[in-house]
Amino acid sequence: MSYVAARGGEQAIEQSERLYRERLGTIDATRVDAIARSLPWLVDRIMGEASLYAPRLAALALAQSGGDLYEAVLLLRAWRTTQPRLAVAEPLRQDKLFTHRRISAAFKDIPGGQILGPTLDYSHRILRTDILDGAGLEPEPVEMSPEPAPPHQPSLASWQKAQGLVVDFERQDVPKQDIPDLTREPLLFPAGRAHRLQSLARADTGGLMALGYAVMRGYGPSHPTVNELRLVEADVEISHPRGTVFSAGRVRVSQAEVASKAGAETIDLGFCATLGWNEVKIIAGGTLDLNEPHATKGSPFEEEFFLSHTEPVEGAGFCQHFKLPHYVTFQSTLDAMRDARRKQAEMASQAAAEEPAE
Amino acid sequence: MKKLSQLTLPSQLMSYGFLDPSAKRELRRKLLKAIAIPGCQIPYASREVPMARGWGTGGLQVTLTLLNSSSVVKVIDQGADDGVNAASIRRFLAKVSGARETTDTCKATIIQSRHRVPEEIMREDQILVLQVPEPEPLRPVEHHISAARQMHADANYARLWLILYEQMVRTGRIMQATEYPSLVNGRYVMSPSPIPRWDVPKLHMARHLTLLSAGREKRLYAVPPFTRVEPLAFSDVPYRVEDHAHLTCSRSGLKGFFMNEIPKDDGGSHFELSDSGFCEKTLRRAAGEDVSIGATWYRNGVMS
Repeated sequence: MSYVAARGGEQAIEQSERLYRERLGTIDATRVDAIARSLPWLVDRIMGEASLYAPRLAALALAQSGGDLYEAVLLLRAWRTTQPRLAVAEPLRQDKLFTHRRISAAFKDIPGGQILGPTLDYSHRILRTDILDGAGLEPEPVEMSPEPAPPHQPSLASWQKAQGLVVDFERQDVPKQDIPDLTREPLLFPAGRAHRLQSLARADTGGLMALGYAVMRGYGPSHPTVNELRLVEADVEISHPRGTVFSAGRVRVSQAEVASKAGAETIDLGFCATLGWNEVKIIAGGTLDLNEPHATKGSPFEEEFFLSHTEPVEGAGFCQHFKLPHYVTFQSTLDAMRDARRKQAEMASQAAAEEPAE
Repeated sequence: MKKLSQLTLPSQLMSYGFLDPSAKRELRRKLLKAIAIPGCQIPYASREVPMARGWGTGGLQVTLTLLNSSSVVKVIDQGADDGVNAASIRRFLAKVSGARETTDTCKATIIQSRHRVPEEIMREDQILVLQVPEPEPLRPVEHHISAARQMHADANYARLWLILYEQMVRTGRIMQATEYPSLVNGRYVMSPSPIPRWDVPKLHMARHLTLLSAGREKRLYAVPPFTRVEPLAFSDVPYRVEDHAHLTCSRSGLKGFFMNEIPKDDGGSHFELSDSGFCEKTLRRAAGEDVSIGATWYRNGVMS
């Protein structure tokens, strides 16, 4: 009897998956490549949340999930976690990053210059409906500057440190194998600095935006100023067993440093970086990092709150799980409720019986 | 000079039992620690698995670590083997490990369960893996994980007692339905996962090992065999299980076990055994099949 039911269950699973896939149609390498080419910002966003830099796999995950971002991130994370950790790369240094875009809101001009790079910040957001009528949107060629921007830039914070405006913390040289790795360790609170930044790096973009935005609107004490925002390509430098350091390739990275004007003598900085180019995420993340030391106990701007609740795989999964049957729990609650009602009714009738006659 | 092939292991597309060796090694260490400190929540990395968080990923990681090709695995969801998620997990476990599948509690070597302990008594050679959504029994009184850890360290459970007392004052009884906070080995209060109150006494001084694992919250804990599990209760207000002892299963005719209530069109309800494997065996035996049914924890509706 139950065997039939078990098979029925499996058939239902199979058919519901088919219904889902039917809507997506045939997925092949052509579609994956088209996604990778046409949706680079989306690919970057989910590479950050998956903490896996693999544009083609990210495009594949998007194709396979039909653009359901939480599904795509889960696909990538579940794949990533089975892969061996082969090496730990050299730390990135600001002045060695190949910089595409680098701006500061704190000064009109900064050493190395403001470099706009690729952005829609100053464009008018007009929906080009003519494309639907057959027009093509051919990108106009970029005109070369007679003076190319230098590929490498100093960090603004190093100038601020030299001026005594920013505290120059002593650099800690941690052996590479001892660098904490959130993908292989649980997040405990209070979190170490490394775990906090790693957790922000793989956080849900929308979740960070919501909480970061709340802080900016005045729920947190510090109003952020973008000290320096960068979109870069970073060399992944690996040490060969013989000692040679070589670049195994480049990854797109975004990083933001946000400054508080609240400090009396020095500027406090908050920081956030992620794989891929994703500006909203890092500004929001940097703002949360900046405000954390001043967060009141129990507020959403405490590290324990915002790190726990911006985990995309955990949050999305838990929301989804409420679709599972919960009838045992429900039955148990009903039992307590019915008994409590019985007790209340008994007490009421007892009280009525004891009431003296007028 | 060494060749590259000498430095590397042969490439494997997928590890045995899905999880890679480093994940399994961590889990085994944490499981041993959990068994050594009964009821204490041990943090673990909790890798992503090909299922959404909240769908049994904690139980899945523990089961994947313990399975081998000679294992016999049973998976239940709300007591049923045929729930879609239970079927999906069981199929996955068997596929990646080569373990055999069963719906019979007595034949299983490892049982992964969401929110039920089977009605048949489990043996020394069996392991029960409970899926846990919320491992922290203190969460209703303390949201901060860091503060709750301190309270566990101090065995400071006063606020838990207080909410149970408050429930009694407000409604005349303790309203905590499932996840009933229970003291393990006289030291740590644990959440036994959302099993009904009916099932908590089955963990007390049990012959089998119970492992509880919360994938999303990254915590696992254990009740080793022959360990005390005492639901928090007042000396003058004893612990009460659900009032199911008098209910009769409309399919099997069995009485005195935990039931599912099925609403009927006429406004009433009928009841069915929640433990579907047990129900099925009873039906098969009634149909004349030679089926062995194990002794049950409850007899005539009373925990024996």
